[in-house]
Amino acid sequence: MASKQKKMTPQQQKYQQLQQKHELKRPVLKNCIKAFFVGGLICVVGQAISYFYIYFFDFTEQSVGNPTVATMVFLSMLLTGFGVYDRLGQFAGAGSAVPVTGFGNAVISAAIEHRTEGFVLGVGGNMFKLAGSVILFGVFSAFVVALIKTLLGMWGVL
Amino acid sequence: MVYIIRVFLSICITLLVSCSQGQAEKESQMALIKTTNPNPTVTKKNYGQDNVEKIEREVESIDEIYDVAVVKGKEATLVVYKVKHMQRFRMKQIEKDLTKKLEEKYPKEQFTVSSDYKIFLEAVRLVERKDNGNLSDKQAEKRLNEIVKMTSDMK
Repeated sequence: MASKQKKMTPQQQKYQQLQQKHELKRPVLKNCIKAFFVGGLICVVGQAISYFYIYFFDFTEQSVGNPTVATMVFLSMLLTGFGVYDRLGQFAGAGSAVPVTGFGNAVISAAIEHRTEGFVLGVGGNMFKLAGSVILFGVFSAFVVALIKTLLGMWGVL
Repeated sequence: MVYIIRVFLSICITLLVSCSQGQAEKESQMALIKTTNPNPTVTKKNYGQDNVEKIEREVESIDEIYDVAVVKGKEATLVVYKVKHMQRFRMKQIEKDLTKKLEEKYPKEQFTVSSDYKIFLEAVRLVERKDNGNLSDKQAEKRLNEIVKMTSDMK
């Protein structure tokens, strides 16, 4: 950074100072609070859904995660289609992107965006443009963790 | 946008209201949320009610545990409990310690120990139906075995 500033002409440096003076500051704390509450609210909905499955179906605490995640992703996909989740995303930022609902949003928003290019090359080809990396690294890290657990189990550590 | 939110809210309220209709069992409705502490129960009277009460007191005396249900059948004794929120990180260790403690103190009993909410809920439902006279001894024994099988499927 310092070497970059050295290369700048005095006029450029003056402009940089002026730009920094007028630059709008990002409300980091405000964004964090918004993300915290909206993300927490999404988790409360998830908890309610998991209690619903435990109460009315034969799911135990261990197995209830699967239908809950599926329901949450499905709901976020529907809300993305209706245009509600995008507004929520604008308001909450990471609070709506980090929970698993963000995955559904990433899939459907990419599908909607490329709908005009056709079903195969447009929707099919671009649907996992954003979510593909989540699947790839998710599967890979699950494989690594399972491998470590198996090895530790074989060695008698676990 | 406002229309969608209104429809969503009204569906939620309708579901909540309809789900709470026509259910005679009161305690188990809130078993996941509040402390219920159901009476220790035996599926048949001659299985030793005193022993079951002792087991419940034993489990309740552990600091990390706050809600206990004990059901004893012909062979199996089901011990289900809730763990205090901040102690849930040590759930496996608590289960291990409790099983060891109970097996040492009551070597003749065959314990099934669990802290799963579903198992707890089903145990409360079983106790409630048994107390209300909606279940015969045989049906209660059958249901208890089903619950015990559910816990073994989780392992």
